[in-house]
Amino acid sequence: MITLTIDGKKIQIEEGTNVLEAALRNGIDIPHLCYHSDLSVSGGCRLCQVEVEGYDQPVTSCGMACAEGLVIQTQSERLTAIRRNLIDIFLADHPLDCVTCDKAGSCLLQKYAYEYGVKETSYIPIYSKTLYQDDNPFFIRDHQYCILCGRCVRVCDEIVGVHAIDFANRGFESHIATPYDGPMIDSSCVFCGNCVEVCPTAALLPVSRLKRGREWDLERVDSICGYCGVGCKIEYAVKDNEIIYAQASVQESVNGSFLCTKGRYGWDFAVNPERLTQPMVRRDLAYSLGISTENWRLPKVSPLDIDKPDVDDYFIPVDWETAYEIVSSKLVDIVKESGPDAIVGLASARCTNEENYLFQKLMRAVIGTNNVDHCARL
Amino acid sequence: MSREKLDQMADRERERQEKFDRRVFCCISTACLSAGAGRTMQALKDGLEASQSGDKVEVVQTGCMGLCSRGPLVRVRENTGEETYYADVTTELAEELIAKYVPLSEPKAGDEALAPEIIETRSRLEAARRKRTLKKHILSQNLPFFTKQVKVVLRDVGYVDPEKLEDYLAHGGYQALYKAITEMTPEEVCDEMSRSGLRGRGGAGFPTGTKWTFVRKAESDIKYVVVNGDEGDPGAYMDRTMMEDNPHQVLEGMMIAAYAVGAYHGFFYIRGEYPIAIDRIRRAIRAARRAGILGDSILGSDFNFNADVRIGAGAFVCGEETALIHSIEGKRGMPRMRPPYPATSGLWGKPTVINNVETMASVPAILLNGADWYAKIGTDQSKGTKVFALAGQLTNTGLIEVPMGISLREIVYEMGDNVPGDAEFKAAQTGGPSGGCIPMSHVDTPVDYERLKELGSIMGSGGLVIIDSTTSMPQFARFFMDFCVDESCGKCVPCRVGTVQIRALLDKLLEGRGQVGDLERLEEVCEIVKSTSLCGLGQSAPNPVLSTLQFFREEYEILLPS
Repeated sequence: MITLTIDGKKIQIEEGTNVLEAALRNGIDIPHLCYHSDLSVSGGCRLCQVEVEGYDQPVTSCGMACAEGLVIQTQSERLTAIRRNLIDIFLADHPLDCVTCDKAGSCLLQKYAYEYGVKETSYIPIYSKTLYQDDNPFFIRDHQYCILCGRCVRVCDEIVGVHAIDFANRGFESHIATPYDGPMIDSSCVFCGNCVEVCPTAALLPVSRLKRGREWDLERVDSICGYCGVGCKIEYAVKDNEIIYAQASVQESVNGSFLCTKGRYGWDFAVNPERLTQPMVRRDLAYSLGISTENWRLPKVSPLDIDKPDVDDYFIPVDWETAYEIVSSKLVDIVKESGPDAIVGLASARCTNEENYLFQKLMRAVIGTNNVDHCARL
Repeated sequence: MSREKLDQMADRERERQEKFDRRVFCCISTACLSAGAGRTMQALKDGLEASQSGDKVEVVQTGCMGLCSRGPLVRVRENTGEETYYADVTTELAEELIAKYVPLSEPKAGDEALAPEIIETRSRLEAARRKRTLKKHILSQNLPFFTKQVKVVLRDVGYVDPEKLEDYLAHGGYQALYKAITEMTPEEVCDEMSRSGLRGRGGAGFPTGTKWTFVRKAESDIKYVVVNGDEGDPGAYMDRTMMEDNPHQVLEGMMIAAYAVGAYHGFFYIRGEYPIAIDRIRRAIRAARRAGILGDSILGSDFNFNADVRIGAGAFVCGEETALIHSIEGKRGMPRMRPPYPATSGLWGKPTVINNVETMASVPAILLNGADWYAKIGTDQSKGTKVFALAGQLTNTGLIEVPMGISLREIVYEMGDNVPGDAEFKAAQTGGPSGGCIPMSHVDTPVDYERLKELGSIMGSGGLVIIDSTTSMPQFARFFMDFCVDESCGKCVPCRVGTVQIRALLDKLLEGRGQVGDLERLEEVCEIVKSTSLCGLGQSAPNPVLSTLQFFREEYEILLPS
């Protein structure tokens, strides 16, 4: 462990940590746009400069390793001037239409412009990029807002391992591109949307949130993704009881700042009218068990041959107690009649390891069969 | 290969060369080639063949002789050591030269039936014998352009055939390497470099011995040596010349560096726009490998080393060492923050020495002649010689090697023979787009690292562009800002956006839309870009504007409304 002082506060941190990270972990916010705790260091935004005792010139804190006894100031008149100047330059190539921007309220550039009181750019606005790409159903790429921090490029390469995008061209002509600027769908992109998650501005936005409200219009609901056993923490942005978009919920999560494509974009089932929300029993069984009085028989036409079969035509809802009752009594009957090996259990990849363990225990110890399998093996 | 065999090869080549009455050297470096040296060389060869005197005279392809503005250049060297230089040698002149210096021997017995084209050439040579134009093309060796030079790096350039290992050996080639690996420890080599005072010739001037010592002391199984041949300043071609005209000298320097730091592999990083340099370095590597100079157990020692060439893809910023490393690694050529410096974490994270071509080319001479000999040349802080590419509005342009501390006046007025025509010398730009302009009022400044820095410029890699009184300095600054805008990699915002803003302000002034306060604003923006950019390119990009504003402010002021 190393001890250093940031803004008068003594901080203990593991060796190898950079100064910016040490500050952030200790609740000291140094402005930064290109830095992200889970990604490699870039140093391109230049905002995180700090004063280091013994150094004449300010030092970029993301690129400086913590060393024993360092004394660092994150705020000073000189630093404020530098940061103002840099934000000023950023805004020379970034449209100031915050009043209609979907990202308003969560845009980092807007945040720093606010904090440092940069109302408008003092430069002649010259915009380098105008490209607008909506070539996929998941996210749009609006290059005019892109500040080329490179977070999306690094997350795609370093975390996702896909490297679908990178910088193209040079200098003022630089922009983030797929190979040969082709549509996203033709690239190696897996549409996990982690680039959208780490984008500090409105350059990358989920399609589902376009014109659906600004940050302060949205309510935050924490949840756990149900798609697989990992159990990623998700934060749904909700408005009027509808999900607007999903993002990783960083606090105490197993997934850090990232999600996969299912968790991030596959939430429309939540409000789908066809979604099953309670147990149901087929109508003929319900009649034979006395739950229903309607003597219903299975139609000759298979539901598979019907264009849109209505589940209510075949099933009636029951409460959980009744459903468990039916399942357990049926299992007992079958075991009595044909022995336990007449039963097979098939588990789901959407369950956790613990759930799957309990399921095979149920099959082996309670029912008494080794006939148990898992969909992930198919 | 053993030392004896090496010496034998050198002796054989020396004997072979001494057999000739005279040797005719024709420059085939890029500058002369673009002036038609390819045809001149062919005419010389054809003439020699037709003369049937190949046993008396040899035509040698060689490198730069310096005065590139007068190319193609040809030098005739008598066996006695007497030399005559000829400038602007066209094919006609080449034939006249052959007619003068090569006896037209009778066809040998059994060789009577000469090919018709040879008969035709012979008759042309006969006719050329009567011409008297050659005299006008003689270049006096007493010109200050030649006499003021001190050749250490360029010592053999213009004398050796760059495509012939034996010729380099005959000029004492690879003796320094042999000395290093047999008589010196790596530590001694590093110390020798430190004592010589050699500083990085790429522009920043970091002491080479110190750099090598860092890498030598770095603990790692794998270390690398990289020769930075990504020369990109407009008008500069010192490194290209070294690589084209004496590739083995650069290779030898690189191998000594490798021995000194404990590296087994090295890379030449050469810009793609230098096809001849790439070709000649590759040939040199192959020849050295065949001769056992490169590879395992070099010259019978237990030192192993291999070298490869990597080609740049056209980005100026790849001359910056961290961007260069990325480029060799196959990544986009963008600089990263330092530290860590390449000496601790360079190519693929391993300790790496990166030196400029000229630095490497200086090494063999220093080891052979000793650090003290080298340290006697130059000034207190800047030792040795520096190669400059004289370009711009000057009578004599070309490549010169001068001792550090020579005054700009000597270079411009004596060696360069002043600005041509009625115009007058106005300023000299050193260090290319990252450097600055030194005005007439400072023409007596000694050229060394410290003094140039004091004037807001840098030594740079050796580009020296002379500007005459017909040039508008704001226009000049605009040209270089355009270059910087074009070459910014786009990683950090001050350089990416700031340079465009500086250019826009210059445009505003030059288009007559200037307003009071614009110059102050220009200075302010330049300072912001300079102080906040990530790498050397951005930090120095505003220099052409700042330095012209400093010395030629009146030229900017007339662009403002009165």
